[in-house]
Amino acid sequence: MRAGIFAAFVILVGAAVLLLVFGPITYVREAREFRPDPVAATAPPEIRMTDLQPGLPLPGPNPNTGGENPSWYERNAVALSEGQRLFSAMNCVGCHSHGGGGMGPPLMDDKWIYGSDIKNIYATIVEGRPNGMPSFRGKIPPEQVWQIAAYVRSMAGLTPKQASPSRPDHLQAKAPEASYPEQPPAGGLIPPSATAPQ
Amino acid sequence: MRIGLLVAAALLLAMPAGAQTATPAPNSVAPANAAEGDWVLAPKDYANTRFSALDQITRDNVKDLKLAWSFSTGVNRGQEAAPIVAEQTMFVVTPYPNILYALDLTQGGALKWKYEPRPAPAAQGVACCDVVNRGAAYDQGRVFINTLDNHTVAVDAKTGKEIWKVKLGDINQGETMTMAPMVVNGLVLVGNSGGEMGVRGWIQALDAATGTVKWKAYNTGPDSEVLIGPEFTPFYEQDRGKDLGVTTWPPEAWKIGGGTVWGWISYDPALDLIYHGTANPGPWNPEQRPGDNKWTAGIFARDPQTGQARWFYQWAPHDLHDYDGINENVLVDLEIDGQMRKLLLRPERTGYVYVMDRITGEVLSATPFAAVNSSKGVDLKTGRLIENEEKHPVLGKVIRDICPAAPGAKDWNPSAWSPLTKLLYIPHNNLCMDWESVETSYIAGTPYVGANVKMYFGPGGHGGEFTAWDPIAKKERWTIRERFPVWSGTVATAGGVVFYGTMEGWFKAVDAESGQVLWQQRLGSGIIGQPVTYLAPDGKQYVAILSGVGGWAGAIVAADLDARDATAALGFVNAMSELPNHTTKGGTLYVFALP
Amino acid sequence: MSAKPRAALAALALSLGGCEGPQNMLDSSGPQADTIEGLWWVMLTVTSAVWFLVVAAMLVAIWRRRVRAEALELSGEPKPHRRERSLGIAVAASVGLTVAILFAFTIYSFVLERRVFAAPPKDALEIQVTGHQWWWQVRYVHKDPSKIVETANEIHIPVGQKVTVRLSSPDVIHSFWVPNLHGKRDLIPGQEAIFWIEADRPGSYRGQCAEFCGWQHAHMSFWVHAEEPEAFQAWLEQQRRPAPEPPDDLTRRGRDIFVTGPCAMCHAISGTTASARFGPDLTHLASRTTIAAGTLPNTRGHLAAWIADPQSYKPGNRMPPTFLPPADMQALLAYLETLR
Repeated sequence: MRAGIFAAFVILVGAAVLLLVFGPITYVREAREFRPDPVAATAPPEIRMTDLQPGLPLPGPNPNTGGENPSWYERNAVALSEGQRLFSAMNCVGCHSHGGGGMGPPLMDDKWIYGSDIKNIYATIVEGRPNGMPSFRGKIPPEQVWQIAAYVRSMAGLTPKQASPSRPDHLQAKAPEASYPEQPPAGGLIPPSATAPQ
Repeated sequence: MRIGLLVAAALLLAMPAGAQTATPAPNSVAPANAAEGDWVLAPKDYANTRFSALDQITRDNVKDLKLAWSFSTGVNRGQEAAPIVAEQTMFVVTPYPNILYALDLTQGGALKWKYEPRPAPAAQGVACCDVVNRGAAYDQGRVFINTLDNHTVAVDAKTGKEIWKVKLGDINQGETMTMAPMVVNGLVLVGNSGGEMGVRGWIQALDAATGTVKWKAYNTGPDSEVLIGPEFTPFYEQDRGKDLGVTTWPPEAWKIGGGTVWGWISYDPALDLIYHGTANPGPWNPEQRPGDNKWTAGIFARDPQTGQARWFYQWAPHDLHDYDGINENVLVDLEIDGQMRKLLLRPERTGYVYVMDRITGEVLSATPFAAVNSSKGVDLKTGRLIENEEKHPVLGKVIRDICPAAPGAKDWNPSAWSPLTKLLYIPHNNLCMDWESVETSYIAGTPYVGANVKMYFGPGGHGGEFTAWDPIAKKERWTIRERFPVWSGTVATAGGVVFYGTMEGWFKAVDAESGQVLWQQRLGSGIIGQPVTYLAPDGKQYVAILSGVGGWAGAIVAADLDARDATAALGFVNAMSELPNHTTKGGTLYVFALP
Repeated sequence: MSAKPRAALAALALSLGGCEGPQNMLDSSGPQADTIEGLWWVMLTVTSAVWFLVVAAMLVAIWRRRVRAEALELSGEPKPHRRERSLGIAVAASVGLTVAILFAFTIYSFVLERRVFAAPPKDALEIQVTGHQWWWQVRYVHKDPSKIVETANEIHIPVGQKVTVRLSSPDVIHSFWVPNLHGKRDLIPGQEAIFWIEADRPGSYRGQCAEFCGWQHAHMSFWVHAEEPEAFQAWLEQQRRPAPEPPDDLTRRGRDIFVTGPCAMCHAISGTTASARFGPDLTHLASRTTIAAGTLPNTRGHLAAWIADPQSYKPGNRMPPTFLPPADMQALLAYLETLR
């Protein structure tokens, strides 16, 4: 009888401790920024389209090879899932499918014609590209372009796994792209069979 | 002029002008100045038979066929074009950037001239299914091509100089042009592509000499713009009424409703009618366009001089599964129930071979030639496709195992008719799909599809078939199974041989009677082009084919798509995920002859 | 329920904190809401009576206990056996009565439910209502597809006619609730709920999403305008027309800004090339009384504020802020005001 009471007491105290320690974690919400700072959001990104620079390369990170610090948008689950929604709503999905491509090139592989950094992708969406990518300047507000650009990176597994949304369509028989390795292994082109789970 | 012997009539009607007969065939077949053994139009003749009366290559000697010469087009995208042969020259048009090459046949295919139309690069971004071109057309010293950025160009066949170039569409509306022009009585007939981009489909007739537009007919909208007038007498009740191109759509939807013309046009000189199909309505998601969506996914008979419609028949009213109705219409005269009938044979995406009366537009029979569960047949009384409710797409639901898939039982790749065997040789698909309708927005110049699709091989586990079909007996004579969809055209010859190619890159000659493979040759890349056969200046019969995989089916190779996404290339990538293991990009013309 | 006791009861309800108005189930304006209200009153009456009886019985028991105790003190002779028996009878009777009342309620509500949720008549006017985060898409179905009408957040119905409503949702669960006309009905993704509503007197009734559906659930309301059949037909005919041609240069400029700018990426205006479907259809925007799903009155000032900074009115909603130069904004507003 006493042992039973003691056990109940231990369980109760344990639960209380667990609740106190881990409870607050469940209340941590993703930051939501509904009203973007207009100046920051419209500032044009500084990008360089090629690694080749006359003279020697300037110091500093090369946006073409991926920035050191991922942007706020690609760490934020809300921004990424909004990007996913907009990727369909703005008809990106019509050309790029759910990352596999079609009329446009695939986005889930590791070939990046115009650079994989979020700034490059931002520039690709806003400026357009000569071989068929339309320019969305003046069509999609900057904030939403950043969200789409972040989602594009998530399709290739370039955003933190815990923030990336799952694949949007129900037709897939394969694992979502977010479960693929976060960074493709270094060293040239990797065939899909090497980056996908076997 | 009537010929007493029925057999002779059937044999003659599809023969090219100037073939080994003095009697004019019931269907005069090609422009008058085409020399014997030429191949001046992509479909060979007005009747779209793709039958050559040349008989040097026979089922006995075809095994000795050897490469005579080859030519690299320098473009590594899907090569769907038919080489055109006229004036001892071969004309080959490439996919974007639509370079037109003239190759001198008196000198073994040496380059005579090339013409570069320089289409806008941005046009590549609105070409739904690879940046293909289905061939040139030759008439009276001029070669006609369509460019991806909506220009029709006439080029001097001798010099390669541009005669005229007219802009007919706008890439910012999603329009492109990929079809092979058809030339009828001094009129160049062309249509637009872009049924996946919310364009409004049209067909135009241009003056072959000047390029001025003679008439333009839309395939959606009010009767005045569809060119429907008092002459319009469709066979079925469902196609009669005023402005059906408006009233069978939600408000304004006909303006972005598709119904493009990117396939084949046939011409019957005796009836003086052209026949052309109209492509799918847009978007694919049928819930966004309640109604019958006239005049999409059907066939028009029109007067070539005025464009006025004579009759219409709709393969798929309120199309549910992207069954474009643009396939070839093969015009033949055959005996049915003891009566000689002017017929139109049509292997259609819906999975049926339609045998139609081409005078009235009546469907005489519609028999499935591939696995079909999306419909339960065609009601011959009303002319309506009987839908299978189980395969009806529903917004937000995945409907599985729909056969045939979106490219249909048979896509654009044309079949051939042999008047000798009285068989229709149909290269086609064996594909099924899962379909999920989703809401989509029309944004001009972007895709307007609204469906997630995933295709896979149909019953039997193979992707394609090559079938010899008897339209009178309404059954197949023989079928060759292929691993991948047969996306190439085909040609039938008087030598009893039929040629086609596979997407792995095998170019095959088969016995027209038995279907036995008599000869095959592996080419540089997968084959989705249209084989042709011609008589060269040296008096020998040659067979030519473009190799270079691509098109909708081959986009996974031509555009390096990622097979991990089953919905890529509108779902085709899933079925073709093995293709990159079998072939690579290419763009080479191969010409074969007997030694 | 006849008028007099009903008025009396309504007065009672008012005194109990109820109110009349456009969003009030006690102000029923249709046969179904009448039925539901009737059931509500019956249940209220019976349960109130039960409550009064129970309270009365309790008071009696307390009073009797005191009397008994005094009597016992006098006699000094307890009779526990009899007391226990009578207690058993009382408990059994009240349990039995409770079960009987609940059972009767169940049967009664089932009977009424059959009436309220009866299959809609086949030839009824049909409306498809789709719940989006966070607005209502409304479509008037017609067998002739060219007569389909698309609108948002405001439903017009003819008085005295049954109107079939088909409910669906592409995103999350919503619930369609116009208290003056009917009970709640959930919109569940992947399913279609079909029911009908009817108003028996003209008026404007407010509806509200009644199932928590995200950030702006509270701002997902709509209005049902019940009109005389002639007025309704006139409204429907007007809605069937495409948007009118802009009458002057300013509004023409406004239209061009709309169809070439960011607006056309999400909204549709019939008669122009703007045909996107992710935001409400704006073909007849000026004929509506509210914007942003009943959040703001449809005035020029509110419209301007909504376009410039929608996130301060409905944080998290799907409309992004649109930065337009003032002259462009004026032109756009002028154009939107022509969309009657």
